[in-house]
Amino acid sequence: MTEGLAGALWGWPPPVLDPAGPYADSVTVLAWALFAMGVVVTGIVVAALWVALRGPERWRRVLGGEKAVWIGGVAFPGVVLTVLLIWGLTLTASLTKPITGDEMRIRVTGEMWWFRVEYLDAAGNVVMRDANEVRIPVGVPVVFELRSADVLHSFWIPHLSGKLDMVPGRTNLLRAEATRTGQFGGVCAEYCGGPHALMGFVAIAKEPEEWQRWFDARVAADSVQPLAAVSTTNPQLAQGRELFMENGCAACHRVAGTQANGLAGPDLTFMGDRATVGAGILPNHRGTLTGWIGDSQGIKPGNRMPSYDRLSAQQLDAIAAWLGQLK
Amino acid sequence: MGVLTACKPPAQTRQHDDAAAQKRGLKLMETKGCGACHEIPGLNWPRGQLGPSLMRFNDTGLIAGYLPNTPVNLAAFIRNAPATKPGSTMPAMPVTVSEAVDMAAYLQGGGRD
Amino acid sequence: MTSETGFDHKLYGLFPQPRKQPDEGLKELERVWETPRGWKIITAVNNNYIGFWYVVTSFLFFLLAGILALGMRVQLAAPMQDFMSPDTFNQFFTMHGTIMMFLFAVPAVEAIGVMLLPQMLSARDLPFPRLSAYAFWAYLIGGLSFFASLFIGAAPDGGWFMYPPLTSTAFSPGIAVDFWLLGIGFIEISAIAGAIEIIVGVLRTRAPNMTLDRMPMFAWAMLVFGVMIIIAFPAVILCTLLLEAERMFNWPLFDPTRGGDPLLWQHLFWFFGHPEVYIIFLPAAGLMSMMVATIARTELVGYRLNVLALVATGFISFGVWAHHMFTVGMPRVSTGYFSAASMAVSLPAGIQVFCWIATLASGKIRWSTPALFVVGSIVIFVMGGLTGVMLGMVPFDWQAHDTYFVVAHLHYVLIGGMVLPMFAAFYYWTPMVSRTPLSERIGRWVFWLMFSGLHITFLPMHLSGLMGMPRRVYTYLPGRGLDLLNLVSTIGAFIFALGVLVFLYDCARNFRFTAKGPDAGNIFGGGTLEWLPAGLYSTRSIPVVHSREPLWDNPELSREVEEGRHMLPDTATGTRETLITSPVKAEPQYIQLMPGPSIWPLVAAIFTASFFMSLTVQAYPFAAFSAVVTLAAILRWLWDTDAPLAVEQAEVGGGIVLPVTVTGASSHSWWALNILMIVIGMIGALAVFAFFFLYGSSPEVWIAAPALGQTAMIAGMYLGVLALLWAGRRVLRARAGRVAGDLPWVLVMAGALLATWALYCDITGWLDAGLDPTATSMGAIVFMFMALQGQVVIVSLIMVVYLAFREARGLVTTPHNVTMDIVARFTGFVAVQGLVFTIVPRLFPGA
Repeated sequence: MTEGLAGALWGWPPPVLDPAGPYADSVTVLAWALFAMGVVVTGIVVAALWVALRGPERWRRVLGGEKAVWIGGVAFPGVVLTVLLIWGLTLTASLTKPITGDEMRIRVTGEMWWFRVEYLDAAGNVVMRDANEVRIPVGVPVVFELRSADVLHSFWIPHLSGKLDMVPGRTNLLRAEATRTGQFGGVCAEYCGGPHALMGFVAIAKEPEEWQRWFDARVAADSVQPLAAVSTTNPQLAQGRELFMENGCAACHRVAGTQANGLAGPDLTFMGDRATVGAGILPNHRGTLTGWIGDSQGIKPGNRMPSYDRLSAQQLDAIAAWLGQLK
Repeated sequence: MGVLTACKPPAQTRQHDDAAAQKRGLKLMETKGCGACHEIPGLNWPRGQLGPSLMRFNDTGLIAGYLPNTPVNLAAFIRNAPATKPGSTMPAMPVTVSEAVDMAAYLQGGGRD
Repeated sequence: MTSETGFDHKLYGLFPQPRKQPDEGLKELERVWETPRGWKIITAVNNNYIGFWYVVTSFLFFLLAGILALGMRVQLAAPMQDFMSPDTFNQFFTMHGTIMMFLFAVPAVEAIGVMLLPQMLSARDLPFPRLSAYAFWAYLIGGLSFFASLFIGAAPDGGWFMYPPLTSTAFSPGIAVDFWLLGIGFIEISAIAGAIEIIVGVLRTRAPNMTLDRMPMFAWAMLVFGVMIIIAFPAVILCTLLLEAERMFNWPLFDPTRGGDPLLWQHLFWFFGHPEVYIIFLPAAGLMSMMVATIARTELVGYRLNVLALVATGFISFGVWAHHMFTVGMPRVSTGYFSAASMAVSLPAGIQVFCWIATLASGKIRWSTPALFVVGSIVIFVMGGLTGVMLGMVPFDWQAHDTYFVVAHLHYVLIGGMVLPMFAAFYYWTPMVSRTPLSERIGRWVFWLMFSGLHITFLPMHLSGLMGMPRRVYTYLPGRGLDLLNLVSTIGAFIFALGVLVFLYDCARNFRFTAKGPDAGNIFGGGTLEWLPAGLYSTRSIPVVHSREPLWDNPELSREVEEGRHMLPDTATGTRETLITSPVKAEPQYIQLMPGPSIWPLVAAIFTASFFMSLTVQAYPFAAFSAVVTLAAILRWLWDTDAPLAVEQAEVGGGIVLPVTVTGASSHSWWALNILMIVIGMIGALAVFAFFFLYGSSPEVWIAAPALGQTAMIAGMYLGVLALLWAGRRVLRARAGRVAGDLPWVLVMAGALLATWALYCDITGWLDAGLDPTATSMGAIVFMFMALQGQVVIVSLIMVVYLAFREARGLVTTPHNVTMDIVARFTGFVAVQGLVFTIVPRLFPGA
């Protein structure tokens, strides 16, 4: 999970022009067509300006009348815009086809400044919880139920589809589908105050069978079984777990199978399996996790988690060790 | 880990001149998130305060006040600190041997990127 | 040609008069228009001064907001820097956007209008000089105190569009948002005051025979600008009122847990916000059209097409607001409509661009700094327009929305469409107000630095956006391919800034302000009236206009005007005055007497500012004190504007005798009051929209209205108000030739009191029905109606008291009186609005 995280998410080619699914494909084609239109029209206008300023007398006479205005300013843009408009509207219609109800459903709630993720079953019940990461099977249509817990956010995975806002009091549905496996970066695209710049997430597309195995295991683990109790034979893990419970972590975070049942912060039941720490900003390993717990305010200033700098490095390491094996 | 320390290292000077390795090293420190705990030259963010600052690491005599500051020791320490120095609170890092060598090269090269 | 007002067009043949006016007349004219000396200069109300100060102030805000931008570019030059804290950055971009839009762009074009319009129309001044002075001072003081919030770390940080709920008390508990709301509310007042001034100025103070078809293109643009402000700004006023009501009184208008809706803000804000872009662009386009004609040395090709384009832009721009909201999850039909409208709005822009190109082709360009800026603006504006078309395509917008692609787009449009034309205008019109022109040599440096800086800054941003960089981020993560692009953008920003710096150097070296001449003169060879020789009084006589470019068609015009051989030579009444002409054909109608220097607009502005600022810091007693002083100052400045006349009529040359000031449909104040009522009416209409919108979003919180009988009674009271006002005016008319007596004002006051009582009944009725403004959005919006109604009721009460005072001093004239007319008609408006606010929520079967 941790290998080359940052590089895989962004960079060249621009994700908008590097689609990984049907909801981004057609928009990429449209984007290229629009760029071409932009270059051609700019060229035409610059050429017309050149003729007007430097061109031969005969051409300038043609360009210098109201007829030229009608052709260049009305007819030409009229035709171009009509063609584009028809294309745009058709494409909009095909990208917003009614939702059939058979799609896989994932509810994502924007919070200041992270994403709560809940996988839903057909009846709409939450069967598994996660944060700052969505995993989807390749080739399966997915509907993201987007909500907000506080202010406006916007959910955007440029590789997979356009963005859709998370509006308090409303539920917006975003369609997406991945046609290849990989990690795709996502961000909050609507300004939400404070460290909005550091509010990201990862979308991971897996082969359907692999995804199903992973999902079934997760669903089983997310129910009440005392999963974390297994590791308590290791003294360091036991210490980490104890520190976690004693230092107030449990007030905000939930770890299934333990008494940690806080709902204000991200669910940590599968913390060790997550790609990132701090909402898509650091790779997840024991070192970064230690650093995050001890100094989250230094890493992401203004976020809602206090820095646990009163704990010793050894204690922080123990907590990170315990969290790191929650998979 | 024992494997690495047991290997006889090639003769090396303290000061690395391999600019490419140093460049890779900095990039790795950035992508691995070492800054979460350490202040590292050439890295704006994060500038962690939990672990010791790694500014001017080439002037540091001992790694973690314990091991001579040689490339081999440093690379080994980066990969698995608790194994290299018992009781170290720095956890083992998910990096390969060659990655650790590049990172060591960067730190010992004076941190000039 | 048929006459609009009965004025015989043959009389225009009398001008120019055969003989020049004696020199004593000119001395008299100069004495009348003399500006106070020394520190008393601040009491000046003449547009030559106010206009210039206004332009300088708006440019100051351009510099301040530009400095903020440089700070942000330094922070973003490399990933994860800590040049400034996230909070500071958030304040910086909020202030940058807010200042550029509200404190620079709109005031700047308005300022250029105040400075140039009277000259272009050959009016002695704008019709309400004290109102422009007030608008300017309010803007200067309010703007500076708003900016000062940065220094105390209390600057707003919610972004220039201030979306709730981030800006609601739950997430922005401090006073920063209040600073924004009240600061902007205050600046809106000055924008609207200016717009009223400009609309009336353009329609009523043009030179004789300057028909609408002969108006300079800038006047057309400013007319559309003024109308758009009147329609659009009420939306942002309502926005600020609603959000402030939520913050101050806990009325849940945007809080979804109590039936509010954050999207209500977005609809209202963008109903203002998109036209705002054209409000900025159109005047600049008007300037472009005029400069293009001069630098190509030929008439503008497609004058009428261009006018059509301006008007069409104005219209269509009110139907595109939701293209800022394609990603909020609107129904497909709405997105389709707004996408189509957004495409349509680029057609008129295309017409204007090709009019300019055709004009350049049909003439022969003479290269100069303004010419460079004009040609450069066309290229940049076209590029920005094209990315705008891209963003109008809904599926593409879903990707590009709220990324740096949009940042690039809007800067191309606004810099190409407004900033560079403004610099062109600075170089072009400086000779009108400076003893020496700006340097052509330095000007070229300014242009090339700004032109290249702009591309270097903003071209890479298109790519950063597509690479996934959202807007309004204080930093970005390393290793995402954004480092180099951002570094280039930062370098570009400094090149652009260097261009502005060189411009300042040019100003310091060459700009020597002169309000009364001699100035550098018509060095570019323009053909419109602002290039006539002029003093503080504008031109010595007001020329009769026969074409669009009078100076080109009649090379003798300057001399004729200077010799006083046109209309209204020198002064006809021995006071400040200007010629009021009819709105379409500009036929002379009457002579308006103009108020001279006064300290009261300045006092009113200072205390308006202190009223808003004390509200912000919750110093309510001082706010109340400031409100009283403001009111007193405004009434004091109005006191001597409607005095009984010494002369009833005067000759304007050629034996033509015109009346001095009239009331009724042809008076300029009748126009101004109507425009003001449109503004208030728009606020009310948008509040009604908000009512229905909130119902649509949360019908479950709607309760049953009070009994129908009560509604009928309140409606009856409002009808009674109208009857009383009608009676009051009848009585005044019946007393023609006699003293007005007490009955007219008593009737009007009875009307105002009845309206107050009706409002009281409305409020108590709803309270008895169990409606609570803090419990549900329905309560909030219904009580918002009452609050809006309460404001106008209070104003009308103050007005009737003022009327009573004037009667006591014997200042109410018969059979018509401007004050009586204004008070009665405003109170009538109060009754009509009250009727709507009563009927809509009570009869709407929502519950």
